[in-house]
Amino acid sequence: MILVENLTYRYDREAPIVLNDITLSFAEGAHTALIGPNGCGKTTLIKHLNALLVPSAGKVCVDAMATTDTACLREIRRRVGMVFQNPDSQIVGMTVEEDVAFGPGNLALPPAEIRRRVAESLAMVGMEGQNQRAPHTLSGGEKRLLAIAGVLAMKPRYIAFDEPTAYLAPAGRQRVLEIIRKLHAEGLAIIHIAHDMRDIAGADRAVVMDGGRILLDGTPPEVFAHADALRAVGLDIPGAECR
Amino acid sequence: MPVINLGQYQPGETLLHRLDPRVKIIAIVSLSVVIFAAGPAQVTLISIALAAVIGAARLTPARLAEALRPIAFFMALIFLVHLFWTDGRPLLDLTPLPLRVTAEGFFQGAHVTWQFAALVIAAAVLTMTTNPSDLVAGIERLLSPLTRVGLPSQDIAMMIAMALRFVPMLGEEYDRIRMAQMARGADFATGGLSLRIRAATALAIPLLLSAFRRADELALAMEARGYHRGPRTSLRELKLIKTDFAALAVLAVFTLMNFGLEMLL
Repeated sequence: MILVENLTYRYDREAPIVLNDITLSFAEGAHTALIGPNGCGKTTLIKHLNALLVPSAGKVCVDAMATTDTACLREIRRRVGMVFQNPDSQIVGMTVEEDVAFGPGNLALPPAEIRRRVAESLAMVGMEGQNQRAPHTLSGGEKRLLAIAGVLAMKPRYIAFDEPTAYLAPAGRQRVLEIIRKLHAEGLAIIHIAHDMRDIAGADRAVVMDGGRILLDGTPPEVFAHADALRAVGLDIPGAECR
Repeated sequence: MPVINLGQYQPGETLLHRLDPRVKIIAIVSLSVVIFAAGPAQVTLISIALAAVIGAARLTPARLAEALRPIAFFMALIFLVHLFWTDGRPLLDLTPLPLRVTAEGFFQGAHVTWQFAALVIAAAVLTMTTNPSDLVAGIERLLSPLTRVGLPSQDIAMMIAMALRFVPMLGEEYDRIRMAQMARGADFATGGLSLRIRAATALAIPLLLSAFRRADELALAMEARGYHRGPRTSLRELKLIKTDFAALAVLAVFTLMNFGLEMLL
């Protein structure tokens, strides 16, 4: 369970508040979609989940470990994986397999175990046999899959995806969504920042943010029922344009 | 995009490809010393050895010539400087000019040019037969004893790997920015020098900014994946096998032979 309690965040003391007194929790195995207009604080919020940012006020605990406790930092980052929006700037390896091995290597696992996890993670995203390719030869969709494999190799309990389908062609988008569904089915907790409201159909919970606060929190049908509130913050309901 | 072909890895299964990267790095270092110390007698010996190694690695002369091309101008310059400005027995006197071609100059120029070519070829053989990941792992392991005196060998290896990873990425970025500017009417091919410099600056600044932003994002992503100072492991285990020891023995004999020749002559 990830607990977020009265989280307030500003980049520095004079800067405007980005997250304003947010309280919510992410249960193990749940699939939560996080939606909201640009600049509402979604990315800032998920950066708090694995201690890339720490609260200005309030607290964030991952399985009872506070993100401010530096002794727990490595374990927190192992448990909460993060797939960023731009895959190009999160691939560190010179080859596909080396990139996937980066996380397990940081955990100081024995080489044989690293190789096992590399094979497993690449198979999970359907990139088996491409171990030796250089990242700059991959397509945008493949880079995204590689970024996901790199996170999977750390065997996290939670994965936060920051707009995982942005800039992808329809086929690539389907592929990524399918993988997210599969990971959820295998018991991983998914926190999914979505821009396209169609992407959250598979989620069992939708959290709508606006201006650093939580606007709505419920199952997708419950949230979509507040059509006016959603439209007021510039979000469209899927299928609404057909009615 | 402009492909950087300087000594690019050529996958293969030859003995040289299979050698431990540490052995190859040590070989390059000792070979460099031998090449620099070489007198006329060793030139033949080293050239034969290099040719044998190139043959064993199945590298084509065309590929190696590619590695030499970027420094061809420099090599020619060195040769000419030695040719015209070395004292000795004149072969050709260009009296009105303060230039004289001497036999000594010719031989010395040829020798220095050979030294440069041999060094570059040796380095190209290393990078062409070793995949970059192995090369970085080899450097890391060779530097690891220095960790005790405070050298961050793992971080150095990480930096080399990052640089290698970033080069093609910056190339792509350069192309993107250039295209975007050309689409809005920028002209990089014509105009006077000052105009062209201005156009180049307009390219360099966004490229630098984007590199800095990339570096920031990358640092964050590395942190998110648990990067830290301290013990890390890698998927490749470097292990010296019989062939590696045999190669080291051959290398030792070869190095000693070169210095022995020096003493005999």
